Amino acid sequence: MAEFNIQSDSVDVTRIMEQIRQRIREKRGRDYTEQQIRELATVKLERFLDPQQVRSDLVEHYRQLEPPAALEPIRYERPGPAPEPFDFDEHTIYASSRGTMGKLIRLIRKLLNPILKLFLNPTPVVFALSRQAEINAWTLQLLQQQTDLAERVTKQFERAGAKFAAREELDALNYEVLNNLVVEMTRLSVDMKNHRSLVESVAGRLDFDERRARALESVVQHRSPQPSPGEDGERASSTASGRTRRRRRRPRRRPGAATTADDGTNNDTATAAGTPSETAPTAPPPDTATRPVGTTVPDAVPPRHYGATPPPAPVVEPSAPPPETTPPPPSAASSPDPEPPTPAVPPVADAGAPDPPPTPQTSGQQRDAPAPATAPATETVAPTSPTGDASTDEQ
Amino acid sequence: MKLAVIVQRYGAELNGGAELHARYVAEHLARHAEVEVLTTCATDYITWRNELDPGVERVNGVPVRRFPVSRERNVDEFGRRSVQVFEEPHSVAAELAWLRSEGPTSPSLINHLRRRGDAYDYCLFFSYRYYHAYHGIRVTGPRAVLVPTAERDPALGLGIFGGSFRGVRALMYNSHEERALISAISNNDAVPGVVVGIGSEVPAHPEPQRFRQTTGIEGPVLIYVGRIDENKGCHELFDYFQRYARLSPQLTLVLIGNPVMPIPTHSRIRHLGYVTDQEKFDAMAAADLLVMPSHYESLSMVTLEAWALGRPVLANGRCDVLCGQCIRSNGGLYYENYEEFAETLHSIVSNSTLRDALGMNGRAYFNTHYTWPVIERKYLDMLDRLEREDAAQVTRPEPLPIWGRRRRNLPPGRQVVDRLPTGPAARADGTRPTGRSAGNS
Repeated sequence: MAEFNIQSDSVDVTRIMEQIRQRIREKRGRDYTEQQIRELATVKLERFLDPQQVRSDLVEHYRQLEPPAALEPIRYERPGPAPEPFDFDEHTIYASSRGTMGKLIRLIRKLLNPILKLFLNPTPVVFALSRQAEINAWTLQLLQQQTDLAERVTKQFERAGAKFAAREELDALNYEVLNNLVVEMTRLSVDMKNHRSLVESVAGRLDFDERRARALESVVQHRSPQPSPGEDGERASSTASGRTRRRRRRPRRRPGAATTADDGTNNDTATAAGTPSETAPTAPPPDTATRPVGTTVPDAVPPRHYGATPPPAPVVEPSAPPPETTPPPPSAASSPDPEPPTPAVPPVADAGAPDPPPTPQTSGQQRDAPAPATAPATETVAPTSPTGDASTDEQ
Repeated sequence: MKLAVIVQRYGAELNGGAELHARYVAEHLARHAEVEVLTTCATDYITWRNELDPGVERVNGVPVRRFPVSRERNVDEFGRRSVQVFEEPHSVAAELAWLRSEGPTSPSLINHLRRRGDAYDYCLFFSYRYYHAYHGIRVTGPRAVLVPTAERDPALGLGIFGGSFRGVRALMYNSHEERALISAISNNDAVPGVVVGIGSEVPAHPEPQRFRQTTGIEGPVLIYVGRIDENKGCHELFDYFQRYARLSPQLTLVLIGNPVMPIPTHSRIRHLGYVTDQEKFDAMAAADLLVMPSHYESLSMVTLEAWALGRPVLANGRCDVLCGQCIRSNGGLYYENYEEFAETLHSIVSNSTLRDALGMNGRAYFNTHYTWPVIERKYLDMLDRLEREDAAQVTRPEPLPIWGRRRRNLPPGRQVVDRLPTGPAARADGTRPTGRSAGNS
């Protein structure tokens, strides 16, 4: 119930009432009458298709709600035979059934008729009785027709009753079908939700694999054209000895960087963390293909494990929480690096390190995530970006 | 100037609308003229039983001459004749029989007017529909002034009353709607008439705090004053209020008046019964607004009293008079169904600016039109005008037909009234308010 803007010195009741009535119409949505609104409310209460509102005993429920009224059978009993019509004419009042004696009696009556007419006039009586006889015959015929009609109507009612009974059975079947449909719909709804989660999980993993494969391809293309003889011999000897030797590169030192550890462990950790000091440019420089192996390439991706196939990403349940990202070392983060920070693109994951699991997300998040069409592929490979800027791309 | 005020009942204890109206007018006109009240010995408007002594007495300084009622009302007969003349085609004789059965039948009062009517300069008849007014107007002729107090009820559609409206010297209407109604049904535009109404004695300084302390009622208050009767729309009021109370449980409905119907048991409905005038005005002053749910009112005095106290009014919009008064005064809102009841009630209760503005407008409307000096002046001006005009030009009430009185050629009274235009009357500036169904028939 909203308020009015009332100017105390100029209240117009008519205008206020118009506002009130307009607001009531808006509340109703349309100009429904009270009766229409009640009908709509009644319809809304019958929410058959809401799975949560449907009971398993739906059919029994409706049978209890609307029990079929027991119809009283129409008992029609045909009346007995109609009485024989009595033929009446002007001679009937003089007639006698005594044979010859009757003829004499009739003659005497005829002779005494003028005397009778002195007391009363039998002619109208005879006329009325004759007409009544005709009416009786006509009524009898009409009753006969009505009786036939009643029999036909009774048969029609019996047929209609049979149809109603069949209809009730059909209604029960309809309710059963409806109940089954609702149950199936509920099941499908649950299945659809499960499949949606599964598809999202698979899509995340596929996306991650594609990005990793793209990164690997760029590294392989970068190294494979000019393999050095020494390296081939070394790899052959290693193969012959039955174990793979890991080629480690010392990361480029930067002024002020507190990198004191010389062993590969620290370097690997730092690399895996994707610190800004070890990030690579988005694309290899044009002379990378001709540069001899072992030479330091500034801001280039350290080619690691190019001879070894990275292990497949472990299957992670969609509900598993994403691993915590390793924060960059404080020294590296706070080092006064004169170079501008490069994008947080880590190198290809170490063979020994587990792949970052894809974080399950909803399809809505995927739709909402910006997808730069012109960005290089390497820019999107940032599974462990500490800033979280590339998290949506990762997902 | 000597005036006679003729009314069906009269007394200081009677609180009926027309009777109270007549008493107030008589007492105030007594300051300017010699006034005598002619009435019956009855006090009960249902039976018209003679309960007071005939003769002359003084009530608040005004002489009152009482005449006995010759026959009490037979309720069954009255009901049967009412159905006959209201719902069926009927004859003039049937209407006259209905009038006798309605009462109060007092031939002695009419005989007094016939014999001694010349002693009065003017006879003010109150309530057109009773025996005394119908026959008294025909006896007094050019001295008759009618205060019809007409409502939109089927009795107005009876054919015998058209002559009463056309055959008096003047008509003192209660409202513009009443005037429009009577004009439409009797075509009496030639008869002088003025919308007067009635004033009210409202205390200058009511004490709302006294009411709060006495009753212990807190929070906003909606008040109803009057007979608690289904015919007054109280059943609908109770229904609407109980539905509204589920949404706004702070509001209290206070009822003042004698109940003739059961009052629902509800925590927010308080019935105070019959109270004194001072308590009534304290309660009205303490209330946020007055509700008037009646469908049929010729003039609601309690509505005017609420406006005099600066309280807004929520009226039934189906009553043309109340709706028209709300529109003309800008002192109240009106409703026709529950949704409008809830919206208008909430608007007034929750919006103090609107409430105060409506109350101020109502008070200004009362001060302009319904204070006693204004009412007295209108009566005196009308009587002065009648003094100046030639009484010989006044149309006498047309005599009833001698032959054909039993011919059933009159339409049902309800049918006649239903054909009349509905809605609030035109404003003073001539514009038609866009109310409920202005102009609809």
